[in-house]
Amino acid sequence: MSKLGRVVEAVENYNQFVLDEVKRARSEKAFGKKLLDRWNEVKAKTPIGAAPTGLKLPRLALPEIDEPGEIARYLLGEGLPGEFPFTNGAYREMYLEPLREPEEGSYGKNGRHGKNGKNGAKPAPKAEQEEPTRLFSGFGLAEDTNERFHYLTGHQRSARLSTAFDGPTLYGIDSDAEGVFGKIGEGGLAIDTYEDMVRLYDGFDMGSPSFSASMTISGPAPIIMAMYIAAAKKRFGPSVIPKLRGTIQADIFKEVQAQNETIFPTEASLRFLCDMIEFTTRELPRWYPVSISGYHIGEAGATPVQQAAYTLSNGFAYAELLSKRGISVDQFGPRLSFFLDCGLDVEYIALARASRRIWAIGMRDAFGAGPKGQMFKLHTQTSGRSLVAAEFKNNLTRTAAELMLAYMNGTNSCHSNSADEPFTTPSEEWIRLAAHGQAILLDESGIFKHTMNMLTGSPGMKAVERAVEAAILEEFRQIEELGGVLAAIEHRYQRSQIQNAAHRYEQQIYDGTRPIIALNKYADAKEEMPEVEMVRTPRAKKQLQVDRLAKFKKKNAAKAQRALDKLSDVVERGENFFPTLIETVEVCSLGQITGRLQEIVGHFRPMV
Amino acid sequence: MPAPIRVLTAVPICDGHDSAINTINLEFIRHGIEVVYMGYHRYATDMVRAAIQEDVRALGISSYNGGHVEFFAEVASLLKKQGADYIKLFGGGGGTITTADEAVMRRKGVDKIFFAGTPLSEMVEYVHQHYGGARKRGGKAPTAEMKLARKLTEIEDAYARGKKKRPTAHKKIRNPKSEIRNSKVFGFTGPGGAGKTTLIDELVLRLLNREPKVRIAILSHDPSVVGAGALLGDRATMINSQDERVFMRSMATRGQAGGLSPATEDCLQLLAQSNFDFVIIETVGTGQEAMPFQTGLVDKTVLVMNPDYGSRLQLQKIVMLDLADIVVVNKSDQERARTAISEIERRLDQNKRSQTTVSTVANRHRDAGVDELCDLLMEEG
Repeated sequence: MSKLGRVVEAVENYNQFVLDEVKRARSEKAFGKKLLDRWNEVKAKTPIGAAPTGLKLPRLALPEIDEPGEIARYLLGEGLPGEFPFTNGAYREMYLEPLREPEEGSYGKNGRHGKNGKNGAKPAPKAEQEEPTRLFSGFGLAEDTNERFHYLTGHQRSARLSTAFDGPTLYGIDSDAEGVFGKIGEGGLAIDTYEDMVRLYDGFDMGSPSFSASMTISGPAPIIMAMYIAAAKKRFGPSVIPKLRGTIQADIFKEVQAQNETIFPTEASLRFLCDMIEFTTRELPRWYPVSISGYHIGEAGATPVQQAAYTLSNGFAYAELLSKRGISVDQFGPRLSFFLDCGLDVEYIALARASRRIWAIGMRDAFGAGPKGQMFKLHTQTSGRSLVAAEFKNNLTRTAAELMLAYMNGTNSCHSNSADEPFTTPSEEWIRLAAHGQAILLDESGIFKHTMNMLTGSPGMKAVERAVEAAILEEFRQIEELGGVLAAIEHRYQRSQIQNAAHRYEQQIYDGTRPIIALNKYADAKEEMPEVEMVRTPRAKKQLQVDRLAKFKKKNAAKAQRALDKLSDVVERGENFFPTLIETVEVCSLGQITGRLQEIVGHFRPMV
Repeated sequence: MPAPIRVLTAVPICDGHDSAINTINLEFIRHGIEVVYMGYHRYATDMVRAAIQEDVRALGISSYNGGHVEFFAEVASLLKKQGADYIKLFGGGGGTITTADEAVMRRKGVDKIFFAGTPLSEMVEYVHQHYGGARKRGGKAPTAEMKLARKLTEIEDAYARGKKKRPTAHKKIRNPKSEIRNSKVFGFTGPGGAGKTTLIDELVLRLLNREPKVRIAILSHDPSVVGAGALLGDRATMINSQDERVFMRSMATRGQAGGLSPATEDCLQLLAQSNFDFVIIETVGTGQEAMPFQTGLVDKTVLVMNPDYGSRLQLQKIVMLDLADIVVVNKSDQERARTAISEIERRLDQNKRSQTTVSTVANRHRDAGVDELCDLLMEEG
């Protein structure tokens, strides 16, 4: 049995355990009383805040139950926010504004003031929480994206930059390679050398706690990560390295299953990835070196259940690989994070909730992880695939509904798509509306800022949650039957399932069983293609990138060969190549390094 | 019956968005079209070479991450430069391709762009209407490669129209004169999932590396869907075979059982006489009773097997184990491999003729087993 089989068992056992505890709470008086006492204590210690209208509200809403069995079902079955199994949230408080008129202390044992603070003491005034809003951007050359970053974060308390790369960069190819000129700076920004990376984050204090960078790239992720470190080192000196915060996607499994941006054979990619994770979990303790992503699986056409099931099983497969490498679960567990899609299908009402629960139980009971390694830390992006070109302004409404679902699911951060995405990399007009959509939901409306659990736990949500959990476990069993995640990939299992789902989705659009407003329902026959501002990279800029690369290559011509040879030696010897890679990037371009590594480990062979 | 329309589809370099094209491929196939699919992240030069070799009616490109104006223009200009603009260029990219882009692209030689929201049925209809009729080729003198590709099409079409009947199973093809037939022909067969395609591609890589002037032809087969077209997807995984020294042709079985097409023998004969050093023919995944290479044209037959063929009894039923010159146990890094190899060797001992077994891990880079297979095949005799 692979670890995935153990995870299935663990969840089944845990569900049985909850049922048993519910019975015990009803039959064993002492146990029932203990639960009731805890419940009353939590309620009593919940601070009371107030809405701007003066309406008083608890910071944490709880179901109106007072019967020990039901209390056991709630506390053990889903847990308070920030408590195992984390169904209601990875953290105790999220999105809440600072307390107005605080009256009492905190609740629970995990609270900020739980251990040391005296009960009933006034909580210290705390800093405002950072915004969960993340806006993914990248276009043109490094300086263009840099300018966009400054524009986006101008009004924010913290700079959380989310970076998109162009096609050549995603495939580890240089901008001067055959036939890629047209792709330079399209759909993301072009990075060829670490000098581009220096330009990209210019003006930002890379070592500051209020700065973090996220980089959406997987195939050449270790090389890009090495460039990031080299750029930070160049600007701030080596002491900045342990302070670096951020995320690099580096999710090879989902690339092989859905997104296709893979450049080395799977086994070699995983080896390079583990090298990087081993290094960053030790040297960059605040870095998230892999973002286990369902987004692209969803965008490629998977159903929500497939998306969550493949993402979670990929996560468990990484955990298994890292454990086998001898890295302790307490070292890597807390550094794993997740990324899911949020569309309009009903499953999204509870998809993240079910995922958090399965991850927590699996990591605790099948991998022995402590609380920090049990937390499913989630970034969500609204669904790009749900957006359509026909009467595209409707996309604002679609994204707003998806944002609502994402925050109802307690996502830790979120990107909202721009309405013009069916056409182009977002233009400023639409990206501003996308950002404001989040602010309206979180800051302007009272839906999320006063009370945790405001919209969780409805009977419908619970029904979806249970159905989704059962369906995810069923998918796990299928994968386990094929021999685990890697074996299932070999069998093309995930790929063919995703492709079948995508085809069904298209069929449903064309036969009308899946209504898409303005496309197959209420469509305006007269509508013409709208005039949308297209964000394109001018020819001269593309040429500038090529020229810069030529200059870099010329400058380092003498050193590059030696650096590549040194890197080859380390790889051939089977050592961790990442520390050497950080030196290599100082004199070699992305394409030079990719090319050399491919000579040693080969090319990825695509699956149809 | 008219011959099925053949089109080639692909996704451009540095683009992995294959969801749309996968759906379109399936729709094409359901409506009788044969699709040679090259996969994603493909160079313009590779697409054009493939379109010419496959002699398709049209080349369809699905582009979703920008740079489409340049990319389509590059493909169109390459087709024109080689005198192959009788192959029509079409494509799409959802909302990323604007009407203004389309105007430019059409001027540069693109036949048709499908905009966002185009129903699949409309695309199918367009292909049938515009790429299905009688074929007009351009005025430029065809290259040798084009001539060969066209002759192969003529053979396939003649069989499809019923003008030629499939040769009876045991009729030996006259062995052409040795000075004409200068290619060594290798036949690869075996069950689906054994890794034939990967193995051949790795072999091609070695042949290309060892002999700078080598010319290789590959005749690869994929099954036709009953009453419909076919997905000919080997080019997508055979990354090393997309090379100017390799001529590759993908064929659909068009209703014939046993792993080959009715036109295979004639096509193979033509290739064997066409100045290639090596001709490699690959069957579709075959069953236990299959014995696809009954012609005198195949010099060495290679049976590729997976270690998990089931029990030892199953081996007795595999006819090709009697006929193959070389038996490859691929995926020999699997747990069961050692048992498999010894069981197969014992089974071959019964035959009392010289057969060789090789164990390979084709999907491992620089695999020594594949090197050994390459040595064996290159040996004279």
